[in-house]
Amino acid sequence: MKEHILQLENLSHVYSQGTPFELTAVKDINITIDKGEVIGIIGHTGSGKSTLIQHMNGLIKPTSGRVLLEGEDIFSSKEATKRVRSRVGLVFQYPEYQLFEETVYRDIAFGPKNLKLSEKQIDERVRYAARFVGISEELFEKSPFDLSGGQKRRVAIAGVIAMMPDVLVLDEPMAGLDPAGCRDIMNNLMSYHDETGSALIIVTHSMETAGEFAKRMIVMNRGTVAMDGTPEEIFSRGRELRQMGLNVPTMTMLKDALSERGIELPGTIYTVEQMKKALEERMGGGSRA
Amino acid sequence: MAAVLKDITLGQYFPGNTVVHRLDPRTKIIMVVFYIISLFSAKTYVSYCFMAIVLFTVIKLSKIPGKTLIKSVKPLVIFIGITGVLNMFYTPGQELLRFWIFKITKEGIIKGILMVSRIIMLVMGTFMLTYTTSPIMLTDGLESLLAPLKVIKVPVHELTMIMSIALRFVPTLIEETEKIMNAQKARGAEFDTGGLIAKAKALLPVLVPLFISAFRRADELAVAMESRCYHGGEGRTKLKRLKLMARDYGALCCGVLVMTTIFVLRSRGL
Ligand SMILES: Nc1ncnc2c1ncn2[C@@H]1O[C@H](COP(=O)(O)OP(=O)(O)OP(=O)(O)O)[C@@H](O)[C@H]1O
Ligand SMILES: [Mg+2]
Repeated sequence: MKEHILQLENLSHVYSQGTPFELTAVKDINITIDKGEVIGIIGHTGSGKSTLIQHMNGLIKPTSGRVLLEGEDIFSSKEATKRVRSRVGLVFQYPEYQLFEETVYRDIAFGPKNLKLSEKQIDERVRYAARFVGISEELFEKSPFDLSGGQKRRVAIAGVIAMMPDVLVLDEPMAGLDPAGCRDIMNNLMSYHDETGSALIIVTHSMETAGEFAKRMIVMNRGTVAMDGTPEEIFSRGRELRQMGLNVPTMTMLKDALSERGIELPGTIYTVEQMKKALEERMGGGSRA
Repeated sequence: MAAVLKDITLGQYFPGNTVVHRLDPRTKIIMVVFYIISLFSAKTYVSYCFMAIVLFTVIKLSKIPGKTLIKSVKPLVIFIGITGVLNMFYTPGQELLRFWIFKITKEGIIKGILMVSRIIMLVMGTFMLTYTTSPIMLTDGLESLLAPLKVIKVPVHELTMIMSIALRFVPTLIEETEKIMNAQKARGAEFDTGGLIAKAKALLPVLVPLFISAFRRADELAVAMESRCYHGGEGRTKLKRLKLMARDYGALCCGVLVMTTIFVLRSRGL
């Protein structure tokens, strides 16, 4: 039943090859992404996350290895590379710095326009994308530069959603936002995923976010995939994570701290909900009042 | 286009710890001046060979890869080619070959070859300065050398500060341009298709964010400098004081020696 949409095969990338600044940013990456998956990518600063995801829509060419979109090498022809740009949407870190149009509407329309869609289709897509990120139509005629930081970020994300990609990749979409803003954006992205069935790949520093939303997590370390599995599997390897300069979610830490004091809770715990349930069960469910 | 941007190694500093890297920037600037004077005083292939040996020795000492140096000459290939060809045709002398209105002379071929080597050696020699000297050191050296001009009210400190800020931000801006281009490409923008007008239009989504970010950076930098009490060059001291070492005097002596040799060769008609 599961269908592969994107495959990275033995992918490596070397920056500035042949100069004194030569640097292998990612090496020997093998990842297969199914349709409709939600994946969280985590890793220490400089572990190659941004480099990795820029291969997914052909912005950078692997030094060796291949990228396959539904089995077709995305670098096999110019058309294939062009096609992948509309199928795999990539939102860069701090995307608000790419806004350039005079109005919010026209900025969101930039992507669909490049796809050579009709006026009517473009209009539909702009409204559709804006609704997803919670940008109301009153803002359409405003200059994007007059918006708040959070609103700018939403407009920029809408600009990519308007291309209606089958895989939506975001680099640190929550960097620099307050907790409420983070939650809003995550909910927006999840509703895009739920409604369209597109795959969602999110690079994040937050273990909590990744654990809460993603069904699968990929941990990058020094340019390689160190772990690839469900949040339960990943968080049960807390010691290895710490060795990579990462941390487990606060609730997992709490569980470990409790077990040190002789209070054993069963299973893996990484959300507040799970912790609450486990504690209630342990107390025999009687403490509800 | 992004690939083109990446290939600009023009004037890029290559960190290292060789004797050439460690020389005082002032020494290196003066040496380059000596080198250029010598190069333009060279007359025949004897002097040119001597200069080539000098250049080669410095390149070897600095451990800058030859590939990088060859790359630095690449953008000038057309210019160098035209110079060579023009010299070949327009130098009067013993005729070797003639077709239509063109004639190639023996003197022309020799002069063409010498001119081409002169330009290549000039470019490589001056790039050796920027390859082995960090921008900060370079402007510090320049400021110190130009200091006497302060007497006639030339704002030397301000000029060199502008220069060092500009140099500092060139790589940042290139990086930023690449990032913005990638982001717009992710939204389906294309930069290498269509005619000239289409290409120019395609640059708008890059230039607008680039300018906005450049102004933002300038603003932030100004605030950062002011909040650290920057108020121009008056009474300002340096973190790294420039100091001439024995190796600098040695290098300067070598420079003078090279120049003298060329002058002697020149007076002998070589
Ligand atoms: N355009 C580039 N040119 C040269 N080196 C680069 C370039 N982009 C990234 N690198 C280097 O590649 C390595 C991986 O960088 P990358 O941006 O992929 O890391 P990251 O995991 O996204 O880090 P962060 O969490 O800080 O965003 C780093 O050492 C970085 O310095
Ligand atoms: Mg990154």
